[in-house]
Amino acid sequence: MSNGVHEIEDAALLFVFGYNGADSHPIVARRIVRAKQKGATIICCDPRRVETARIADMHLQLKNGSNLALVNALANVIIEENLCDENFITEHSSGFEEFRELAKKYTPEAVAATTQIEPEVIRKAARLYATSGRSMILYGMGVCQFAQAVNVVKGLANLAIMTGNFGRWGVGIGPVRGQNNVQGACDMGALPNCYPGYQNVTVPEVQAKFEKAWGIKLSNKIGIPLTQVPHYVLHETEEKKIRAYYIFGEDPAQSDPDLAEVREALEKIELVIFQDIYMNKTGQFADVVLPATGWNEHDGVYSCCDRGFQRIRKLIDPPANANVLTDWEIISRLSTAMGYPMKYNNTEEIWNEVIDLCPTFYGATYEKLEKLGNIQWPCRSRDLSDKGTSFLHKDGHFAHPDGRAKFSSIEWQAPTELENEEFPLILSTVREVGHYSVRTMTGNCRLLRNLEDEPGWIQMNPKLCRDMGLKHGELVKVLSKRGYCITRCLPTDRVKRQAVYMTYQWWVGACNELTIASLDPISNTPEYKYCACRVEKIEDQAWAELFVKEEYEKIRSNMGIILHKEAV
Amino acid sequence: MNGYVQGDPLLCIGCRTCMVACVVAHEGKHIFEIDPDGYDFYPKLYVIKTFNVSVPVQCKHCENPACLAICQSGAISRIDNKVIIDQGRCIGCKSCAEACPFGAIKIVSLGFKKNLDGTNRAVANKCDLCYGLAGGPACRRVCPTAALHLVERDDLSAIINQKRLASIKTASIPEISRPTL
Repeated sequence: MSNGVHEIEDAALLFVFGYNGADSHPIVARRIVRAKQKGATIICCDPRRVETARIADMHLQLKNGSNLALVNALANVIIEENLCDENFITEHSSGFEEFRELAKKYTPEAVAATTQIEPEVIRKAARLYATSGRSMILYGMGVCQFAQAVNVVKGLANLAIMTGNFGRWGVGIGPVRGQNNVQGACDMGALPNCYPGYQNVTVPEVQAKFEKAWGIKLSNKIGIPLTQVPHYVLHETEEKKIRAYYIFGEDPAQSDPDLAEVREALEKIELVIFQDIYMNKTGQFADVVLPATGWNEHDGVYSCCDRGFQRIRKLIDPPANANVLTDWEIISRLSTAMGYPMKYNNTEEIWNEVIDLCPTFYGATYEKLEKLGNIQWPCRSRDLSDKGTSFLHKDGHFAHPDGRAKFSSIEWQAPTELENEEFPLILSTVREVGHYSVRTMTGNCRLLRNLEDEPGWIQMNPKLCRDMGLKHGELVKVLSKRGYCITRCLPTDRVKRQAVYMTYQWWVGACNELTIASLDPISNTPEYKYCACRVEKIEDQAWAELFVKEEYEKIRSNMGIILHKEAV
Repeated sequence: MNGYVQGDPLLCIGCRTCMVACVVAHEGKHIFEIDPDGYDFYPKLYVIKTFNVSVPVQCKHCENPACLAICQSGAISRIDNKVIIDQGRCIGCKSCAEACPFGAIKIVSLGFKKNLDGTNRAVANKCDLCYGLAGGPACRRVCPTAALHLVERDDLSAIINQKRLASIKTASIPEISRPTL
């Protein structure tokens, strides 16, 4: 995020685009509610009537997959009605003339059919955003999980640049990220193209710095993104093939799109090493299982979505006789066994190495984290006066070499697999509060299972249910070109008739059997938010209930979850 | 007057933290149960969502409770300004669930407690305002947006008074009706 989470409360206008805070992060959603209480205007863009839409001043219930058409149309109105911050554009940006040309044709009338939003509504939203004085954009997976994703982010950035909503308190653009430490994973270089601190592997000076620090020769080639692993296992030539896959804290056999293909890849790959606290679907393909420790047994640092580093401290020690190690100890031993001796005494030593090598993190020592509680990078000095950076781009300075923000002129592009005669509905996968991610943890929590359990739900418009003769709670079959699964019907007028919604956490009602592995060309994130599907009524409900029960038992026993089986 | 917890739909984000907190407060160490079939957990309030509203529905602790009036087994009583179900005495006849105008009572099946014939014991379950538990209603305590309020006699008087003031403000006095002196 360009601005701190705490600044959300102080925005005069929140433009919430494809971000369902209430279900993904109640703690961030609280800030949105507070902003509302403090008098902020809220504009919510979402195909569903999510919680934010309920309290919003405007809800733009756009058609799924029309994101950039809407964003460019908002820009069109801002330009046509002379609501731009001309001074900010002249002083701090480049590429505006080209963008102005592109935006010309995205009139609200021209995109009305694509977005299913009335032109006057788009105009009103654009005016409010451009004139509030302090507008902040929040976006989530409703932007990122499309084949056209990064370009929509650039489109949203265009809006912020053209209205001067960067580099101040309570403005900017905020990707509110999924997991508690996904920002940390990126910060630490768990990406195919960079070292910790976003230092690119292709830059010779960076390579030399890390080679010197670690005393080894390093590659300057960009690695393979996670979502392309199936391709590199199944379809690449011999020399490019992936032969081993080390997976920890992930369950690609549940979380990745097109599960049939993922399973095929996991079957074919020569070696799968699996490190986790419980077995999950991926664990069943493992050749080697490394038992791991949980979050409450770890010391370390997490990064929040707004670049804030926070210390985490273990609550309990791993059981002494269980011979389990924390993740960093496992990695150290593995590395040592592979010929590169890695030895640390504690996480502070690791952290010191990280900050020594990363200029943007250099000032965030354990000592300072202890004192301040939270430090947002960049924090470049160890001096106590450098408390980190709440908002980026102060005084209109941007990270491009010329110090200017760059306008991106990009056309809207339709999703990959459109609804058709055989599969007439849009399937979009969403979050649901109550379970976490793929349920490797919470699926084993007895209490949470009792509150919400397999096979999960498919959200459908009540009119569609009526036409199909479906009742609340009835089991239905959902199919796409790639597979099918069985789940329960949840009629809700918060969704439109053209699209249905499922959550990826369910093991039996696994919606990723259906999703498409169509990737954004830049981020490699799959198009989880859009594929074509069909819902079928199941006449024999008793059979379906038995099917779900037996599938669930099979999955649980494969994961080693069932401790003892009651006589039925 | 009996107290009750009231949710504010303008603040509620439908996150169901209240439901989890309810179970944790009432079940104590049972929440660490490892055996997947060893225990059953049921919240005593439910977050309900419609097109425009998200808010938990829970017992109003009525002054003239229909559930109490209809209960045949004497399982429902009024204690300490709360309407309380004694699940030990409940025979699972479902009358209270039918009588409650708010849908605040649910009949829940306890797999770990069996009847003599081996079937699951089923009992009525509803909000007890965390009766006997320290710290008051757990739902209210954990709500991330502070959307839940415990309403007691004084609070209700204040709410009513506020509404009376508001109704005076909106009542305009027509010019013509003023007496001319």
